[in-house]
Amino acid sequence: MSSSFLLRRVGYGLVLMLGVVVLNFLLIRLAPGDPATVIAGEMGGATEEMLESIREEYGLNKPLIVQLGIYVGNVLRGNMGESFFFNQPVASLIAQRIGPTILLVITAQILSILIGVFLGVIAARKPNGVMSGFVSVFATIGYAVPVFWTGIMLIILFASVFPFFPAEGMQSVRLRGADVFTKTLDIAHHLVLPAFTLAIIYLAQYARLSRASMLEVLGSDYIRTARAKGAAEKTVLFKHALRNAALPILTVAGLQFGNLISGALLVETVFNWPGMGRLAFDSILRRDYPTIMGVLFFASAMVVIANILTDISYRWADPRLRGKS
Amino acid sequence: MTDTPDYKAESPTLEAWRMFRRNVPALAGVVILTFIVLATLYGTFFYSGDPYNVVWAPHEPPGVTPEFPLGTDYLGRDLVAGLLTGGGPTLAVGAAAAAITMVIGITLGSLAGFYGGWVDNLLMRITEFFQVLPALLFAMVLVTLFSPSLWTIAFAIGVVSWPQTARLTRAEFLKIKELEYVTAARAIGARNKRIIWKVILPNAMPPLIVSATLTIGIAILFEAGLSFLGLGDPNVMSWGLMIGANRDYILDAWWPVTFPGLAIFLTVFAVSLIGDGLNDAFNPKLRER
Amino acid sequence: MTALLDISDLKVTFNTRYGQVTALDSVSLHVNAGETLGVVGESGCGKSITALATMGLIPMPPGRIAGGSIRLADEELVGASPARMRAMRGADIAMIFQEPMTSLNPVFTVGDQIAEAIMLHQKVSADRAFKDAVALLDRVGIPSPAARARDYPHQLSGGMRQRVMIAMAVSCRPKVLIADEPTTALDVTVQAQIFDLLNEIQRDFGAAIVLITHDMGAISEMADRVAVMYAGRIVEEAHADDVLDFPQHPYARGLIDCIPALGREDHALKEIPGVVPPLHLLGAGCAFAERCEHANDRCRHEKPLLANHGHHPAACHGVEEGRI
Repeated sequence: MSSSFLLRRVGYGLVLMLGVVVLNFLLIRLAPGDPATVIAGEMGGATEEMLESIREEYGLNKPLIVQLGIYVGNVLRGNMGESFFFNQPVASLIAQRIGPTILLVITAQILSILIGVFLGVIAARKPNGVMSGFVSVFATIGYAVPVFWTGIMLIILFASVFPFFPAEGMQSVRLRGADVFTKTLDIAHHLVLPAFTLAIIYLAQYARLSRASMLEVLGSDYIRTARAKGAAEKTVLFKHALRNAALPILTVAGLQFGNLISGALLVETVFNWPGMGRLAFDSILRRDYPTIMGVLFFASAMVVIANILTDISYRWADPRLRGKS
Repeated sequence: MTDTPDYKAESPTLEAWRMFRRNVPALAGVVILTFIVLATLYGTFFYSGDPYNVVWAPHEPPGVTPEFPLGTDYLGRDLVAGLLTGGGPTLAVGAAAAAITMVIGITLGSLAGFYGGWVDNLLMRITEFFQVLPALLFAMVLVTLFSPSLWTIAFAIGVVSWPQTARLTRAEFLKIKELEYVTAARAIGARNKRIIWKVILPNAMPPLIVSATLTIGIAILFEAGLSFLGLGDPNVMSWGLMIGANRDYILDAWWPVTFPGLAIFLTVFAVSLIGDGLNDAFNPKLRER
Repeated sequence: MTALLDISDLKVTFNTRYGQVTALDSVSLHVNAGETLGVVGESGCGKSITALATMGLIPMPPGRIAGGSIRLADEELVGASPARMRAMRGADIAMIFQEPMTSLNPVFTVGDQIAEAIMLHQKVSADRAFKDAVALLDRVGIPSPAARARDYPHQLSGGMRQRVMIAMAVSCRPKVLIADEPTTALDVTVQAQIFDLLNEIQRDFGAAIVLITHDMGAISEMADRVAVMYAGRIVEEAHADDVLDFPQHPYARGLIDCIPALGREDHALKEIPGVVPPLHLLGAGCAFAERCEHANDRCRHEKPLLANHGHHPAACHGVEEGRI
């Protein structure tokens, strides 16, 4: 991997993030009404004094371009503003919430890729078999189910009718003083339903995609070569074919990440998962713009980072791209 | 809202139509969707009832009282009335948002693909930028900033969903603009505008029609998600809103959230069956998917 | 003496959307140790199906071996267990394919791919296998083999890749090496090098080679004996010189007329009119009748059998009747 590729990729990511900052600024300016009131939040019942201090801090009396400079400068210094609803700096609010979101999103991503690819590979062995039919039907259903409704149905089923899993939250209150192991297990227990809710849609898509991708790869000459060597069918499928079929799956996994975060937002709301999605929901209901903008910024940053990681792993997975810039 | 895209009397389209007609799942999709559209349009003629009126005891289970076959919600409002009136906004916003998505996506994608060079570069950078923003979150922000109404919701969904369409259109344009009949059109002196609209775009339509169908499905899910979060038009009953309003009581009553969810699912399911059917009809060789 | 590889009365059918078709019809072939058998014919004649059947690589379904036998060193391969076939593939019988560009897995280094073939059939360490792979690359004439072994297929030229394929195929010293159009995708100059290499390999490793080709020129350079295939049947079989100098079947004559020869300016390069008929359209008569200038009513209604009508075996009524 050339370091110049990495540098360029990260540099471009930073430019995109700067774009998000500018967009945030424009959105607040474009919103109807006095920007100071917008920033203070309509639910805040801000005093004239407060509005004045906001105008001062954001330079709202200065020309637009200066305001933009001040805003970008603040963000660069890590100052995302102050949430008037939560009465906390936005940066620290997000610092508390980003961990659970990452945990949820990554778990769902891993679950959906592992299970989806496995189903897809099995289905590809018999293109007209039962499993192939199941994968197609399942993929269409997975695409059509509203994720928040899946969550609710799972709660009714597995938290109420068969109470196997907790219906909401990330930790049990009664375990406050427990040891790390018990706490981890408790979080994992809470994670099952939300992670599966989120994973189901993408799982279905990965299954369909990897089936198609495997079918294409299984027809190629190098698979015949592997068989002619005397490789066992399992080796042919999971080593020779899957390594190649994984390339388009990897691309989609990267592209899906933004959607996964959108989905997490709904899932967190359904399961009261204390992450950024829940924070976004709460702050949007209160019109707490500094927090909303902070969430938009960090959620976009997660997508940018995921895209960079995808590009890197793609180059690692496809030797034809290595060493090229 | 149309069930199937318009078909012109061209032979490849006719052939696709013939393929489509033989596709049982796709026809099932057409039937389900027609039923849902008719029910939301005319259902209230046959089943009168105000979805906002408290008409009975709260949480009446389905199938107990004949007047309220699907039961009542947490306030005692009739669920059937809610389902029949709540579908209209969802379908309308879904269709409008898909239309906005297609207009933005096709415009930018065709310009990028046709002109190439710096135009392509600039437009693709913008597209990449929009793909970085988590769509639902961005839509939520837009809706909140510009106060929710059916139009702002449709607009917001369109603004966050177009990048996919733009990429697809661009790819099709890149492919088609190299073909002989485009060169032929240039040779007889056709202007760029004419080549884009009359020569390339019609030939790029099959994948775009499929994509438009799937976009309707995604837009419906988006609308449902926004309404569920309470960010829909507060004055309009919708399926998502019904789920959102009743979600605090799911452990007491499963039906007020289950039926609207099923309605959303069936609608999107039907739309995607149609989309898959169109895809198969346009690409008979790609049946293996 | 029994042949090393002995195919007799092999019949392979495929289920297609036109119904069941017979891809191979009573094909009998044999190869002795150290010998090169050329199997010649246009695409669609069943040459590759014969090779794949021998390797046990016919996709089933839709394919099926409907009859006959394939014996390798007196062991029956038709009906052998999948595990036994797997153990034999790559070890006792190996194959080189037509497309070196696509026959190597793009995501593994060529050294690893050869080493894998070795490790599948011999109990050696990964380290040992890789060293053997490097030695094999050296043997097939690849310069700086230690460095090339760490290359990926896309970093090598077509000729180099075909050498890698040959190295992989001979890695376990197979008794029979099937080469399916090994040079078709390569430059003319590289073709000659690959043929030289195959000849050398045969001398060193003592393998019998089945060379599948549509090119009579390749046959004249490589083969000891020749079987001419048409539409799933053998239509002529003899020593290479006999077939080249005294072709019997009109199809064999046609193929030989396709060889560009120096100093043969009296007539332009000929080609056989028409194409191999699709298998589902084969009728009761000789499959070549449609394209044959000598065909008569008998040819169109009665299938000719392979028999010696004078010089050497051919399946042709015209030869039998002395018309040709």
